[in-house]
Amino acid sequence: MKQLLVLITLAGLSACQPGGYHLTSRTARRIGIDSASAPADSSVARFLLPYRQGLDRSMNEVLTRSTGRIEKGPPGAPLNNLLTDALLQQASLRYGKPIDCSHLNYGGIRNNLPEGNITTGSIFEVMPFDNQLVIMTVTGTMLQQLLDHFAKGDKLVMGGLRARIRGGQVHDVAFTNGRTLQPNETYTVAMSDYVADGGDNTGFLRNPVRRETLTYLIRDTLIDYFRQQGKSGQPITPTSDGRFTVE
Amino acid sequence: MDALQSNRRQFLKLLGTTAVIGAVAPEALARRGPTTLTILHTNDVHSRLDPFPMDGSRNAGRGGVARRATLVRAIRQEQVDGHPRNVLLFDAGDIFQGTPYFNLYKGEPEILAMNQLGYDAGTIGNHDFDGGIDNMVTQFGKATFPMLIANYDFKNTVLDGRTMPYKIFTKEGVKIGVFGLGIRPEGLIPKDAYRETKYLDPIEIGNDMAATLRNDKKCDYVICLSHLGFKYDGPTVSDNVLAAQTRHIDGIIGGHTHTFLEAPVQVNNRDGQPVWINQVGFAGINLGRIDLTFEKGKVTASGQSVAVKG
Repeated sequence: MKQLLVLITLAGLSACQPGGYHLTSRTARRIGIDSASAPADSSVARFLLPYRQGLDRSMNEVLTRSTGRIEKGPPGAPLNNLLTDALLQQASLRYGKPIDCSHLNYGGIRNNLPEGNITTGSIFEVMPFDNQLVIMTVTGTMLQQLLDHFAKGDKLVMGGLRARIRGGQVHDVAFTNGRTLQPNETYTVAMSDYVADGGDNTGFLRNPVRRETLTYLIRDTLIDYFRQQGKSGQPITPTSDGRFTVE
Repeated sequence: MDALQSNRRQFLKLLGTTAVIGAVAPEALARRGPTTLTILHTNDVHSRLDPFPMDGSRNAGRGGVARRATLVRAIRQEQVDGHPRNVLLFDAGDIFQGTPYFNLYKGEPEILAMNQLGYDAGTIGNHDFDGGIDNMVTQFGKATFPMLIANYDFKNTVLDGRTMPYKIFTKEGVKIGVFGLGIRPEGLIPKDAYRETKYLDPIEIGNDMAATLRNDKKCDYVICLSHLGFKYDGPTVSDNVLAAQTRHIDGIIGGHTHTFLEAPVQVNNRDGQPVWINQVGFAGINLGRIDLTFEKGKVTASGQSVAVKG
């Protein structure tokens, strides 16, 4: 019992004066993790397995088929057109009203689509970034700025309109819905939050008339579109529809 | 309740206290030598549970949580003076988003794997909001470690009460105070993901937290888990700004900017004391390791440790 009391007294003392250690040295090391530095821990690997199997099943879901390879390219290339048309359709469905046009960032399209089966995994390769769909309501002047900005680098990827590109300037814009581009009218554009936030030097989009974020990833708009296409039973045929005439 | 039972309860309480002291005190008393403590850390793992695929790209074959588990376990098993090493394992945010694992499972395998590795704490990165704030409640609810964040006020959100500003870890008597700081959500996170989360000034909160941990809680070492980012052009608050404009922070374990530091960067704080800032890239390609050695020693009135040789 005596010892017990001593211990309690000690505890009381240390509670009044905790800490009291000082650092005498610190060193650091960065440890690279690869197959050479460490083998996989078997219990963590076992834990992950069912998740990976589920993932593989999901990535291997065949959404639709294509009669040929669909490639990204300069304005009007087949993949550019297909993706922006898909985005425009799905965005309008989710928005609940028609949208004038759609835009994708050229640099954000990371792969082409294969001939044959298009799987969820194929869409992840095309669009690995988790960009959210935003609907920007902009003036005709701001939309013209957007068109010219991307036309300059041969990187204009748009759906819902046709136009001529001359010397990095976009002319004779005609919307699929019949509208024309007027500086003081307003237009709705479906695009990624990345560009809306000023990505790829689009600071000029800072003050749109309205900006609405739909909680809908750009990639998911595409997955939904291609899955729907697959249900029609008709394979996709890549086409250049001549929406941009480069002079 | 009769007197006997009451006495017995008192006695058991006493005995319980003694048992705890008995387990700790003799070791602390017996070991007069230095105490070593190893901090292991990751940041911006971004749902990279598997190594990068062998596709010839820059990071092909690197990373992987199962390999990280092996490394962490090996370090935990290292013997220091006949005792297993004291280890604390932290993450500096953006656990979520970046591979289809997150899209499919919303963060569950990331959190459960961190449980298996024995993470001691994490902080919240902007991408941890990507599944929405309700999903954070669900997934953080599966964690066996706390999410530390001091400058997000979640009062009007479902996350209220689900995170902690700081936690104190005691290893062989050495008290390590750890708190978390998050980045400004506005313009970075969709509003409908962070909702009514209030962002509080990280410098002000960081100073308050560190002072509380040092002065009130008597911590021997104060660590900030930060998702502010390493350094920016202009006045945007970063780990470098935080280190320079605060007192009482000893080390910052950072994230967000995916900065690959070969070694910690040292910045002097407002008292001229050196703060170590570290960040180890992203995707679990690296594990950061900081080895600290402490000795029992005098503490000045300001609370700063004074190195006493011998």
